[in-house]
Amino acid sequence: MMKDMSRNALNFLFGLILVGFVSINHASAADGKTVFKQNCAVCHALTDQKITGPGLKAVGDRVPKGDWLFNWIKNNDKLIKGGDAYAVKIYKENGNQTMTVMEGTLTDDEIKAVEAYILNPPVEVKPTAVASAGSATEGNEDEKGVNPLYILLAVIVILAILTVILRGVRLSLQNVNNAKEGAEEAEPVSFYEESKNWLGGHRRFVAVCLIVLSCIGMKSCWNSLFRVGVYYDWQTGKGYHPEQPIKFSHKIHAGDNAIACQYCHNSVEKSRHAGIPTVNICMNCHKGIQEGAVTGTKEISKIYAAAGFDPKAGTYDVSKQNPIQWIKVHNLPDHVYFNHSQHVVVGKIECAQCHGDVKAMTTVEQKSPLTMKWCIECHRKTEVAMAGNAYYDRLHEALKEKYKKEHLNTFTVAQMGGIECAKCHY
Amino acid sequence: MGTNKKYWKGLSELNESPEFLKHQQNEFVEDLPMTETLNGEGTTSRRDFLKVVGFTTAAAALASCETPVIKSIPYVVKPEDVTPGVANFYASTFYDGHDFAPVLVKTQEGRPIKIEANELHKKHSEGTTARTQASVLGLYDSARLTAPYAKGTASDWKSVDAAIGKSLADAAASGKEIAILSSTIVSPSTRSVISEFIAKYPTARVYQYDSVSYSALREANEKVFAACVVSTYDFEKANKVVVSVAADFLGTWLAPAVFSTAYAKNKKVSPEKPEMVKHYQFESNLSLTGANADERYMIKPSEIGKTIVALYNEVAKATGNTAVSASASIASNPDVQKALAKIAKELAAAKGQSLVVCGLNDTDTQVLVNGINKMLDNYDKTISYEHHLNLKKGDDKELANLIANMNSGKTGVVITYNSNPVYTAPAKIGFAAAYKKVPVKISFAQTLDETAQLADYVCPDHNWLESWGDANPVRGHYSLQQPTINPIFSQPRYQGTRQAQDTLLKWAGVKTDYLTYLQAYWQNSIFPMQAKYGDFYSFWSNTLHDGILKVHFAKLVEAEKTAVNEPMAKDSSGKPLMTGVAAVIADSLALKKDEKKEKAEEKKVIAAEEEKKLPEVDYNAAASKATAAKGGTWEITVYEKVSLGNGNQSNNPWLHELPDPISKVTWDNYITMHPEDVHEQKFGEMLRQDVDGSIATLTVNGVAVELPVYPQPGQAKGTIGVALGYGRKVESYKVAKEAGLDGGANAFEFLSVTNDTIQNISSEVSIAATDKIHQFAATQIHHTIMGREEQILRETSLAQYKEDAASNNPKAFIHTNQGERPLEEVDLWAAHPRPGVKWGMVIDMNTCIGCAACVVACTAENNVPTVGKDQVRRTRDMAWLRIDRYYTSDMTRKRAEEEHIGGRRMYLDMENPSFNPKVTFQPIMCQHCNHAPCETVCPVLATNHSTEGLNQMTYNRCIGTRYCANNCPFKVRRFNWFNYQGNPDFADINPSQQDLGRMVLNPDVVVRGRGVMEKCSMCQQRLQAGKLEAKKAGQPIKDGAIKTACQQACPTNAISFGDLNDKDSQVTKDRENERNYFLLEEVGIKPTVSYLVKVRNQEEKITLEAEEEKEEKEEGEGHKEKKEEAHA
Repeated sequence: MMKDMSRNALNFLFGLILVGFVSINHASAADGKTVFKQNCAVCHALTDQKITGPGLKAVGDRVPKGDWLFNWIKNNDKLIKGGDAYAVKIYKENGNQTMTVMEGTLTDDEIKAVEAYILNPPVEVKPTAVASAGSATEGNEDEKGVNPLYILLAVIVILAILTVILRGVRLSLQNVNNAKEGAEEAEPVSFYEESKNWLGGHRRFVAVCLIVLSCIGMKSCWNSLFRVGVYYDWQTGKGYHPEQPIKFSHKIHAGDNAIACQYCHNSVEKSRHAGIPTVNICMNCHKGIQEGAVTGTKEISKIYAAAGFDPKAGTYDVSKQNPIQWIKVHNLPDHVYFNHSQHVVVGKIECAQCHGDVKAMTTVEQKSPLTMKWCIECHRKTEVAMAGNAYYDRLHEALKEKYKKEHLNTFTVAQMGGIECAKCHY
Repeated sequence: MGTNKKYWKGLSELNESPEFLKHQQNEFVEDLPMTETLNGEGTTSRRDFLKVVGFTTAAAALASCETPVIKSIPYVVKPEDVTPGVANFYASTFYDGHDFAPVLVKTQEGRPIKIEANELHKKHSEGTTARTQASVLGLYDSARLTAPYAKGTASDWKSVDAAIGKSLADAAASGKEIAILSSTIVSPSTRSVISEFIAKYPTARVYQYDSVSYSALREANEKVFAACVVSTYDFEKANKVVVSVAADFLGTWLAPAVFSTAYAKNKKVSPEKPEMVKHYQFESNLSLTGANADERYMIKPSEIGKTIVALYNEVAKATGNTAVSASASIASNPDVQKALAKIAKELAAAKGQSLVVCGLNDTDTQVLVNGINKMLDNYDKTISYEHHLNLKKGDDKELANLIANMNSGKTGVVITYNSNPVYTAPAKIGFAAAYKKVPVKISFAQTLDETAQLADYVCPDHNWLESWGDANPVRGHYSLQQPTINPIFSQPRYQGTRQAQDTLLKWAGVKTDYLTYLQAYWQNSIFPMQAKYGDFYSFWSNTLHDGILKVHFAKLVEAEKTAVNEPMAKDSSGKPLMTGVAAVIADSLALKKDEKKEKAEEKKVIAAEEEKKLPEVDYNAAASKATAAKGGTWEITVYEKVSLGNGNQSNNPWLHELPDPISKVTWDNYITMHPEDVHEQKFGEMLRQDVDGSIATLTVNGVAVELPVYPQPGQAKGTIGVALGYGRKVESYKVAKEAGLDGGANAFEFLSVTNDTIQNISSEVSIAATDKIHQFAATQIHHTIMGREEQILRETSLAQYKEDAASNNPKAFIHTNQGERPLEEVDLWAAHPRPGVKWGMVIDMNTCIGCAACVVACTAENNVPTVGKDQVRRTRDMAWLRIDRYYTSDMTRKRAEEEHIGGRRMYLDMENPSFNPKVTFQPIMCQHCNHAPCETVCPVLATNHSTEGLNQMTYNRCIGTRYCANNCPFKVRRFNWFNYQGNPDFADINPSQQDLGRMVLNPDVVVRGRGVMEKCSMCQQRLQAGKLEAKKAGQPIKDGAIKTACQQACPTNAISFGDLNDKDSQVTKDRENERNYFLLEEVGIKPTVSYLVKVRNQEEKITLEAEEEKEEKEEGEGHKEKKEEAHA
């Protein structure tokens, strides 16, 4: 045990040092990195690959020294119109297209930070380190405790062995005793016979035991029936998290890069379905971002395969398109109608309320049980924001009248009929 | 072509080693150890085998315990206008060669799932017909062809095109005729495409022939007005008197959806306007129109002409015109003569506000009808041949000419488009025999129908929902058709279908697709006739969005003078001449949008047209011919059913299961006869479902078929009715075969040709009994209301209504220990508050014509399963909405008392409808009782009440005790006896069991499983969606924004639906109507649905039975009091 503990401590220390080192090393560029990702990365890569704009690898060596790069980023239009020779050259090289003018969008400090970031791009942290750190923590989680079931089983086995041994001891003692008293050696009674005799002698006890056992059995059968088709395990708090055909990480997209949920799940405000993003939405960004931080090109290439996209040539082949077969994580029970737009637009509910902190999930997992009980509990306690929505005006007055005795002014979904059968089942 | 190359599978084969030769014939190199294995001698014993099997089974069972993974597969590139989960609506046009409707198509993720009326088309209907509603299912018909056929086997387009190209060139070179036989071509661009084809093959000719012919209407207009067109009829302007002689204009005649919308507007009565149209009907079959008539007279088919002549003379007398010399007496019904005199007076008093129509396809009769309308000054008011109909342009003479040409060998190639003449042509004219003589026969049919089976090449056309197209239904009105789904059968999986126009363009050598051609046609021909849009692209996209267009009439007339269908794409330059035309035209376009000026110009143009000298009409000659028809002991009228029509959709299970509005029989083709005739002929009287009908042999014009006999009250005595659309001889029509007698008989064979027009009536009829019996599947087996009018079916006469708007609509009272008290004051339960929305529905029985469009709409919207004939017989039909049809009976309590008829006899007689019964239709769905009897008996609370006043049914809670159905006073609850989605017994008839058919299901509504109860939910999915829209917009629900499926489909606006808590909503106003009443009100169930009392336009009083009794009682009591007084 001591050994394990010291190893864990060492791991932890090593991790701390590593993280510290990385963060110290890139403290100056951190700000620039965020700005770059938010404003520039859609058109520029840090490699020599051209997306919409030219690749920025070793850009410092190409462009005129001094303030040129700063001025270009700030207002390239001005530079071109001013007749700067290199600026005009770049303008012509890129099909007479100007870059987005950043003046007004970014402060001078931010532009400077971006400039610094572009000129000295950080060394890529090897994905293997992250992966090993990840697996280490997962391993730790598994070692947390021993399942009480195993202890119980072990105790039962030990007790059984003890019973057998004790029986043998008793038999031999009895034989010895019999021999001593000169009595005839007792007929060896088989274990089976003996058990049968004992059970025959304690009928009432056996019957009670059987009844109790069968009751427990039936109850557990009943309980397990309720879990058919329910992926959420309320005992451990762990949800359903199937492995997806593409190892898409919400943590990277929604968390690190802060892409709004609605950017990809864009029918959430219009339709009953939030919508699984179509490949063309992925391609909006991944036409440019061709390499991921964690898995490199491996997963992103699957998007290209689906879109029929050739990343080298930058062309699409429609005949090679093949939809991605995602595995549905949030499955509602049969015969229920649920509408996302109702909850998001009218109810103004945050995505995270039902889906959990997706921004932190590498693999999406089901956080809510999605059972009728869960729906109803929420409808019972959620107050409807009636103010400011003319639809509710008359209803609000009528409800105030109905709940006159209780002096209510705000009403829950349930109070306005939101837990009636036909609201969800039709 | 032989080859010297040798191929081999291995060196041993090449060298022909002895080893190889020895084993060459063996399937396996080594013998399989079968005997050893079975005897347990081999290495793998039988036991081992069983162990392995056992293990794999157990492993598979264990693995399947986990709920399977559900995949979610998004688009690769999402179409811009598709949001998964949100339906899109596209304006399009439904035309299948018979029915026409401008429609909105609801698509969900690219699948069309529902058809609605295009409300922008104000001149058209406000609703749809049953057939239009059902037409969406045709797209997913598994009988559709997926590849072109050549000589009976599936082929590919390339070789078919090559072979046909050669045949066409040969025929054109040898001067043989290339006949294009089509139903009315309503698409102007298609006519242009055909002219391209004719330009390439000059021997080509177009023959237009409609399966249900209106040839005589055109001929008559030609004779009277020198205009060979079908007139348009405006039933809205005919707001005083409508006389129809054998024309079922509300059900099947010409354009029933349009007519019923207009007709119903004159049936809306209110205390402010207590006026209604008076509708007289003369017919032999009891049609939907006859059922709605205020006065109906039964005549024999041979007397139609005589009736018209008699009416002509009476009208001439009343208006001071000259009568015709022919005398006409209606022998079978002496009342008719008397009635006609009365009607003629009414017509003369309602000049320009009346309409006389006749359904007989006889030119002379129609000439007289024109004459009557002319005397009544109806032209340009209620009838117009200037704004003529472009539908039904088929000419019966042309079909005869074609047959002659085919027989004489003049015709080298026949192309059939949108028509199936082998099935629909009269047997007598021998189309099939002549057709077989043609060397090359090509069909554009979508399925292997009767004509396609005989054709050499079948080039399957797209379904209308997959097609581009346009239509010109009425002169000056245009509509566009756009695809709402990619062709389902497309390459590479299938050889695929191809739109007929594309095929023709290809054969004509025009190197452009039909869409480009269509746009170019509109650019050239239609764009210049309007003034709303300046450039073609906004014109095109806006017209496509609206689906319809009304052009500048004066410009149209001008254009018509110059433009005859000239081929546009002359191929000499090699380039399709499809662009650059619009720019020139747009410059010269100096029209300004000015409605008044437009109207004035239109009038001028029409006046100019009228100035043309009209031909002299010899009404006397017409009358003598029209009265020449000979009668017979038995006479037949072959009619179209509201459900199946001409049989274009006879593989559609929704239509087969739709009960006939009058007979209420499903899945069957039968002979209708008057019950007295049935009795006299000793046929089975089929009084109830469990009493079988008889099968009789019916011989008409020499064609004999066996059909069951159905007693139909209201059928003229001595006449027979048989419906078209059955008897399909198509292997792949699995649904059509489900109908009785292996699909029924084909009544098209009974048609005959007289005076160059196809007749649907005949006197050459004989009927003979067989000893066979037949089981009908009817959804309503009682006919009358048995004296319970007050509780269920309230009617009043217009005269009574004028006196008292609440006549025959008594308030309900309840006996309590404090005496009689109004129903509202007595209740077992406290009232539940309805704070938000309180839904309500009011059905106007006065405007409901029973057309059953709502029934099919409900089926489509709510995924209602079809159950087949056998289950319908067991009263297990699943329709959430049914239309009850009631006949009047001659027996009343009063009459029984007067005539000393005993109680038992009285009740038995009450069950029997009158000789010529009055008919009432009453749509019944779940009444959503606020004190619902079903709710209190459900042991699991699967059915309960919402705060919005709806009775909600929760399928996943239902355990199927059926107590609720037992306790429902309206019998609207339907129990799922079978797993209709999976049970192989229903595989052929239930669309949801087929991969294709499943696509029509509405994803917003659950597909119910076996063992649960289901019923009308008031289209809960639409209510929720409508509320959500309002919530998102932050506005109260607009009245009329939420419509139930039945309400939306209704062509007569008989259903109003909305929020009863909204003081200004239509439904609240209708609820306050004096005619409003609830069914079974006195039970205290407080229904959400209410009805408006039917008002009949008649002078005679209508008395409720209960009222009578009450009056009698009061009289009696008064008597007693008097006695007592006297005593005192």
